Amino acid sequence: MSIEAIPVVVINSSENLVAADSGLSGNAPVLLREIAELAHRLLDSGEASAIDLRALPLTPADLEWLRETLGQGQVVATLEAEGESMLSETVCPGVWWVTHHNENGAVASEFIEVTFVPELLKAHPEDVKIGLEHLELLISDLS
Amino acid sequence: MHGPLIDTLARQGVTRRTFMKYCATLASMMALPPAAGRAMAEAMASAPAATRRPSVIWLPFQECTGCTESITRSHSPTLEGLIFDAISLDYQETLMAAAGHQAEEALHAAMKANEGKYLLIVDGSIPLGLDGAYSCIAGKSNLDTLKEVAKGAAAIVAMGSCAAYGGIPKANPNPTGAVSVSDIIKDKPIINIPGCPPIPVVMTGVLAHFLTFGSLPEMDSKGRPKAFYGETIHDRCYRRPFYDQGKFAKTFDDEGARNGWCLFELGCKGPVTYNACATVKWNGGTSWPVESGHGCLGCSEPDFWDAGGFYKALSMPADPLKMASTAAIAGAAAGVAISFANRGKKSAAKSAHETTTLADLEK
Repeated sequence: MSIEAIPVVVINSSENLVAADSGLSGNAPVLLREIAELAHRLLDSGEASAIDLRALPLTPADLEWLRETLGQGQVVATLEAEGESMLSETVCPGVWWVTHHNENGAVASEFIEVTFVPELLKAHPEDVKIGLEHLELLISDLS
Repeated sequence: MHGPLIDTLARQGVTRRTFMKYCATLASMMALPPAAGRAMAEAMASAPAATRRPSVIWLPFQECTGCTESITRSHSPTLEGLIFDAISLDYQETLMAAAGHQAEEALHAAMKANEGKYLLIVDGSIPLGLDGAYSCIAGKSNLDTLKEVAKGAAAIVAMGSCAAYGGIPKANPNPTGAVSVSDIIKDKPIINIPGCPPIPVVMTGVLAHFLTFGSLPEMDSKGRPKAFYGETIHDRCYRRPFYDQGKFAKTFDDEGARNGWCLFELGCKGPVTYNACATVKWNGGTSWPVESGHGCLGCSEPDFWDAGGFYKALSMPADPLKMASTAAIAGAAAGVAISFANRGKKSAAKSAHETTTLADLEK
């Protein structure tokens, strides 16, 4: 198979901008435009969206660059569920970096969510009902 | 989002958020859009409670038990394990406590009680040589057993490359006359989960689909679940950008190898191999062959063992794993091969079927 035989070739316009041996592929900067597009959509229609970072050809260095560029905002939430999940808002409010770890501590999946509040953080009405039952039990114990 | 599954999970201490996180990750592994995670959570959580757990019969034929190892050792007791709890595994020689006549009784009892409804999982290929005498269980050839058990199955899962395509037992010169499940059974839905071994989560995904919808997921032309085998290793490889930039490791210890460049020239079969290793990874998401610095062997493709050497760069654009079938194509392939990787170094491969020698490794 010759190298040209595989039809899809990504042309990295930013290839010249990055150092050759930095491990950067040049695929990360374009993501910023996509995130901006999703933020527009959130403002215009209220529709939340997400980017699956595992589904894209990004090197570890690309991910690091993206994480650093987006920066750390004011909110960091940790979820303990079969391994730790970190949901942290970036410097751009409404743009969240979500990392799910498995019980061994390895990254199981990683997303950028563009939303006012990530769905995972909200309490489900069914769970609130269970909490309410528990509260009532606590109150009945008072008397 | 509530239903019998979520209630069962809650009783085992699994919260709704944990389940949603699991579904988000499963959707990512299945290469579905991020929004699909929530849709799957809704679908699975609200699936109607089965009156009884679906029966699963697992038949081992010409196999090495690597597939069973892959599945059973893949997870600590987590959600995947809980999904396995949702089935009734009625016959599995390696795992079941019963042996001999007792085991065979269990098999026949399960077949009778669940006729037309059970899921049949097969690992290993089926030998047709010497009237099937190469592999027998309980005095019956694998061929007879497969035909008998397949008759009452709702669907069949061909687990691993041997059951799906014949695998290593079928490798040249195929002394036992090994064939795949789909070579024999023609009147049942069959899903192939190839790989040597297959990725455990693919099994879980197919099982979750069967539990949720009572059917097999969407398949490609080779009978594989599209969700996991829809794209090549190469298309989803994190080293792909280096391929696009023409940056290749030339040996396993040169500068390119140290910089994590593309392994194409070292024989990586990623461009012609459909599997999910690049996204799902192995050993609980720890790593996978290319991340460890070794090219893909193409173990989930038909006849991967005879595809012409693991350390030879791919030499023709079509489907090199099939190129042995016609001599004319093999000849053309040899021509391209000289002009590319092995330029002037060796004479062209006369056929794709050749033994991997030390010379191949030292290419």
